[in-house]
Amino acid sequence: MLGRARLRADLAGELTAELSGSLNLRRTRLRIFGLLQPRFAEWVMLALPDGRPGGVVLHGGTDARVTSTATLDPDQDSGLGRVLRTGVTALFRSATDAELDQTVPHPALRAAAAGLFPADVLALALVARGATIGALVVLRGPGRRFEAEDVALAEQIAGRAAMALDSARIYEERSHVASVLQAGLRPPTLPSIPDARVSARFRAAAEHMEIGGDFYDVHGSGDDWLLTLGDVCGKGVEAAVLTGRTRQSIRTAAYFDRSPAKVLEALNSVLYDADSERFVTVVCARLRPEPGGEHATVDLAVAGHPSPLIVRAGGEVEQVEITGMATGILPGVRYKEVSVRIQRGDTLLMFTDGVDEARGEDGYYGMDRLLRLLSAYAGAGPEIVCEAVEQDVVEYLDGRTHDDIALLALACGR
Amino acid sequence: MVAPESPLDDIGRFDLSLSTVDTESAVSQVEKLLDDGVAPVTVLSDVIVAAQAKVGQRWQRGEWTVAQEHAATAVAIAATEAVGRYARRVPVTRGHVLVTCAEREWHALPATIIGYAMRSGGWDVTLLGASAARSRLTQHLHDVGPDAVAVSCSVLGALPATRRFIEASAAAGIPVIVGGPAFSYDPLRALALGATAWAPDVRQAVVALNDLPAVIPPALPLPVAPAAEQADLDRNRRRLVAAVDALWSVTAGDTATGPATLDSLRAVAGDVVKQSLNAVSAALITNDPRAVAYTAEWVEQVLTARGADTRAVVELGEVLARVLGAYPLAHDLVDRHWARSTIL
Repeated sequence: MLGRARLRADLAGELTAELSGSLNLRRTRLRIFGLLQPRFAEWVMLALPDGRPGGVVLHGGTDARVTSTATLDPDQDSGLGRVLRTGVTALFRSATDAELDQTVPHPALRAAAAGLFPADVLALALVARGATIGALVVLRGPGRRFEAEDVALAEQIAGRAAMALDSARIYEERSHVASVLQAGLRPPTLPSIPDARVSARFRAAAEHMEIGGDFYDVHGSGDDWLLTLGDVCGKGVEAAVLTGRTRQSIRTAAYFDRSPAKVLEALNSVLYDADSERFVTVVCARLRPEPGGEHATVDLAVAGHPSPLIVRAGGEVEQVEITGMATGILPGVRYKEVSVRIQRGDTLLMFTDGVDEARGEDGYYGMDRLLRLLSAYAGAGPEIVCEAVEQDVVEYLDGRTHDDIALLALACGR
Repeated sequence: MVAPESPLDDIGRFDLSLSTVDTESAVSQVEKLLDDGVAPVTVLSDVIVAAQAKVGQRWQRGEWTVAQEHAATAVAIAATEAVGRYARRVPVTRGHVLVTCAEREWHALPATIIGYAMRSGGWDVTLLGASAARSRLTQHLHDVGPDAVAVSCSVLGALPATRRFIEASAAAGIPVIVGGPAFSYDPLRALALGATAWAPDVRQAVVALNDLPAVIPPALPLPVAPAAEQADLDRNRRRLVAAVDALWSVTAGDTATGPATLDSLRAVAGDVVKQSLNAVSAALITNDPRAVAYTAEWVEQVLTARGADTRAVVELGEVLARVLGAYPLAHDLVDRHWARSTIL
């Protein structure tokens, strides 16, 4: 008796702490099984309506990870159907085969449950926020009856479980919407470019969101590629939405004219006409590697953005001299274009101000620190340069909040 | 039918591709092995991991510059991605694993290798990459609801953040499997940090996934006194590094604000100081003083390979003990476990 009392006290205590630990629907279900099985009951099943007429998804039984589906007879006014309809608990002491049939509408699950017979079958309604969202069916094997206190505890458990499941369901629906929209705003996978290498990094200010106001993109084919990196003023979701439109506008503009200056002029007009309060800074590079990858020509134009750095194979670091106004502020802006040549071993790096304006204990990270770091990584190639800059900046921040950080590096050769 | 070649030949050839920074050759070798029917996990474990271990040793012994090490690693990354393309063709028949590195762990390659090994074992895998923020892990725990979290940890400095990853996962009931050099050669540190399982290598990591429980209870708290001291050390980390730098003869008197070259003794010594303090922190939270002793051995190899005297290692131990004077447990760890073998 003492053992049973302790079990009931333990369960009641763990319920609150553990059921609130996850917002994920599947993890919450596994949690419920983890709490109940086998301490409270040998066999546990969750039945959750799936939106089909009479359709339910059945989780668990003897194995918490097993899922199956069933369709309930709409005319049946007993067992599981009745619990789901009325929200009232049903207890079948030493349940008959017929009672089991009505409560566990699936042959394989039923066979496993029948293995425990003669057994008490308890079917509890899961009621959350005024609606019956499903049912919890538990079985105790021979010699382990559900006492009145057990039923009371089971109802308490069902109440908590229902609330946790319903919250997780709401979260999952919202999270699905968010993740589908988010996917289109995440940085793209980089293509592989013949006779050149590119690498990129993005770290959002809100790191868990994985999207923000900085963006990069690479598109083209054969020996003619367009690389862009930019920064929409502001951060978070609002800024991320505009990065999506900006990337799309750049792609469309490049379809008509691949000159970086012309691309920026088109982008400027589109953003200005869209009447947005926001402006966008961009660096746009047209990369044309020569066959064999010994050299590449890079045409550059910038719009209110720090111009790219070239890390020469020998360790010199130079910043390309080019300026231009941010896009989306004034109509009819003309952009300048400059052409640079890179050789095997050189790396060209585009970056956003999340790098040099990162604030650590000693103030801003700054351009001097960036130039010194890059010089030490001469010849290391785009992947390693991106990795080194990201690591150095994030370690400099030492856990402090930061703006979006984006890097895009390119080199010629394989 | 040609007799199967020894895997040693494959390792030798792949190693040569890393040394000569021949990405195309490395990738085509890996692809050939896979086309010949060698399992992705075998290619990852017996070719790429084996060759990558040699790369690290060469840097440690001062035979390779940092640039060479980086260039070789970039080739290994390309080869690993090639295996990834094969692994992704394996149908998903098992659960979902989140593979990640905790904050301050910048070695993304081992996590990628583990991720592709698990993917080729039929698991759905989400890779979070190097030094993931805890907020990002938590977001994925709720959004994905994985069956397991795998944390790869190469450096001792990332063990405190790894502990926080374990806490976050366990709070959501999700089992955590850990591995990597920071955990040494037995499960002691992993268990001390509350991990559900420890894997000594890539293959074991995939096998261990099958034996994990569906749900785990929240992590037990760490012992209070050492955890509190580690938190203090972490808070004062920059000051402690500066204090050791100023007192140790190898780093003292240097006015440069950053490394001019990555291979100077000064640049390596700067890393050594940070690693040594990280080792003390790691020993505190894992209750494993070997972290300090092993680090002293590593420091000795790295420094003497670059022309420093063994006495510099002993001196560093003395400086550490002095700087950690206000931290009784940390001081005691250094005092008792630093560089026993090197004391003249």
